[in-house]
Amino acid sequence: METLKLEILTPNGLIFDGQAQSVTLPGEEGEFGVLPHHASITTLLSAGVIDFETENGTTESIVVNWGVVQVDETKVVVLVDGAVAIRGENESDVAKALEDAKRLISDVSDSNVAIAAVSAKIESAAYRLV
Amino acid sequence: MANLKDIQRKIKSVSNTQKTTRAMKLVSTAKLRRAEELAKRSRLFAEKTNELITELSGRINCHKIGGIASRSFETIDEPEMVDIIFVTADKGLCGGFNLQTIKAVKKLMREHKEKKIKVRLRGIGKKGVEFFTYNEVELMDAVKDLSSAPDVARSAEFIQSSIRDFNDGVIDGLYIVYNGYKNVITQELHVNKILPVDVDDYDCDDKAQSSMVEIEAEDEEKVLDSLITKYVEYNMYYALIDSVAAEHSARMQAMDAATNNAKEMVKTLNVKYNKARQEAITTELIEIISGVESMK
Repeated sequence: METLKLEILTPNGLIFDGQAQSVTLPGEEGEFGVLPHHASITTLLSAGVIDFETENGTTESIVVNWGVVQVDETKVVVLVDGAVAIRGENESDVAKALEDAKRLISDVSDSNVAIAAVSAKIESAAYRLV
Repeated sequence: MANLKDIQRKIKSVSNTQKTTRAMKLVSTAKLRRAEELAKRSRLFAEKTNELITELSGRINCHKIGGIASRSFETIDEPEMVDIIFVTADKGLCGGFNLQTIKAVKKLMREHKEKKIKVRLRGIGKKGVEFFTYNEVELMDAVKDLSSAPDVARSAEFIQSSIRDFNDGVIDGLYIVYNGYKNVITQELHVNKILPVDVDDYDCDDKAQSSMVEIEAEDEEKVLDSLITKYVEYNMYYALIDSVAAEHSARMQAMDAATNNAKEMVKTLNVKYNKARQEAITTELIEIISGVESMK
């Protein structure tokens, strides 16, 4: 299985650095997916969820509030302002991450529709985990 | 006898100073740890942002891609005015830390003057601001309490006017000068050319670089603009936190040296005190003996 290099960075450090099979990003003009050998593209991200499939097939979700992504044939570099990874060992960890993620989103967005849409996505990501 | 008392007083005062400097060193050590952590975590992001911008700018320049209306990626041949932003500490007692930055700023100013380029100076940090005010160098902007407590929102606000002036064509360049953290015992002076984006390091012929610049979204200017703004803002913020870490490490070192010096001084003063005491005893004995002698 071919993979691409994915890096997700925030001002507070590295959130993810590793190989991924595919990445789905919340672009400014709509969600888009990236597979290995994707053409170069630089674009902005809006508040939303980054979903990616890791090397061993598990799906991870990271909630971001704003960002820039640079895609080229071999790698994807995502620079974001704030990010919360939806992951955890047990239910309470996940619940806490969920809470943080929702707060992050409601801080940047005024529109209730946007918040609701993102929240629904976060919930479903968390649901997969537990 | 007065001499003895004087020395005693001096010993006491020096050892008190020693206590103070030691305490200051300990405080700096604790603060350094926190600042260092913050700077380290942010360094990666700062490096990646710069990398991304340089790459973009390099590609735009190498392939002469036109139609991008942002001045940030242009090479400005005859600049008329530049902004120099410097970051120093708010407090002293940290060795040559502030002076190094000030010297670099002066050098940069001189270089620009020789080329007949006007310089606008904007300062952050009490020490640097005071220095230039005292020397009657005009400062366009002076912020005195930002460098000891870096804040994302305030640093963004500070740099905003420079970005605006650059986009409006009022200034043709932007430099940030600060003393950054390298490791616990060394600081590293940074003179960063922020705008227009520095593309000197970019190798156009490198085949490994992807040749495409594809910017999604209808108005690519918006993407570039927000990217540039973020890049400048983050560089400013990073300069501040890096400078804080460096300040604490410099102070830690300076205070360590001061403590050692005080220790050394107490030692020599003690020897001096003992000598004086012995001298006094000898004089007294001679006085007694010669008194007895004369009685005979």
